[in-house]
Amino acid sequence: MLDTNENHKNKMNAEVDPVFSVENQLSDADVAHYVVDLLDDHAQHLTAVTAKRLLVARNLAVRQMVDSQAVQSGGHTLAWFGDQLERHRTVSAAIILCAILLAFYTAQQFGWNANLEDSDAFLLASDLPPEAYADKGFDTWLVSKSD
Amino acid sequence: MATAKELSDFLAAVERRAFKQTTYAVRDDHAALDIVQDAMMKLATKYADKPVAEFPMLFQRILQNTMRDYWRRQKVRNLWTTLLSSFGGSAEAGDERDPLETIDVEDDSDQPHAQLERSQTIQLIELAIQKLPARQREAFVLRYWEDMDVAETAKIMGCSDGSVKTHCSRAVHALALTLKKQGLDKLGISSSMAMNKGLKS
Repeated sequence: MLDTNENHKNKMNAEVDPVFSVENQLSDADVAHYVVDLLDDHAQHLTAVTAKRLLVARNLAVRQMVDSQAVQSGGHTLAWFGDQLERHRTVSAAIILCAILLAFYTAQQFGWNANLEDSDAFLLASDLPPEAYADKGFDTWLVSKSD
Repeated sequence: MATAKELSDFLAAVERRAFKQTTYAVRDDHAALDIVQDAMMKLATKYADKPVAEFPMLFQRILQNTMRDYWRRQKVRNLWTTLLSSFGGSAEAGDERDPLETIDVEDDSDQPHAQLERSQTIQLIELAIQKLPARQREAFVLRYWEDMDVAETAKIMGCSDGSVKTHCSRAVHALALTLKKQGLDKLGISSSMAMNKGLKS
């Protein structure tokens, strides 16, 4: 009996103020979802200018992504070397030392060849024949001769 | 790592919502477009190596931060404007209007009645959302419109789960109250809500 009276009271309230009664029955989530449904629907009806501007912005972003990925892949080789050097420190140090020694040896070789060329030129341009320089007793003979 | 197509599809799916959300926050279409574009570029440049599944959260975080940057810049600009205008002595200073009180309801008798009611309801909701405090609006948008869970929303907003629930609850109550004040029964929202409720139960 009490329930029936309560129901009747609610029914009367609903007739007097339907908003009040409906709001009481609805949870926060119901209200939120109703609002979101309307907003979602409305968001699909943008002006042509706005839609175009968004499309342009999207295309720019995608292009930016492609460009940045290209730059990153170009830098990957260097990054790989850097990573390897960091990981194998001893081997890396040995390789660098070998490279330095090789460079030094090569530089020396070039220097020796240059000296050889200079000495050849000196021998050919000298007043004495080249055999004179090969003769070990020549210097002694030259000194005794001058005395 | 996401591909260009995946990024394009993702942005196409969220761009309209993002634009509307930003418009409600900054109340300027052009500024909103700039902010959305800025957020898109940041996502593409800095987070292209992330999986697509992380894009919604990342994008929302970037968008919210970009909006905050915009507000900071606006604050500084407004400070200077206020300082300069105080020398000029503007007569209209402090003349605030409640957009909900002066809403221009379209009287378009050519359209069907239901469509008119719907567009009026949307106008009211948009204005009500714009009037919400920034944090409440942010929580409402992320939690309900972006359909994120409480933890994700809290992470983006940089607050606790409890704060998110409070903001959401206050936002929904404020929206419901504002709409009720404007006469939900006249705009057909009550019947729609009742119908929704009936369908769900």
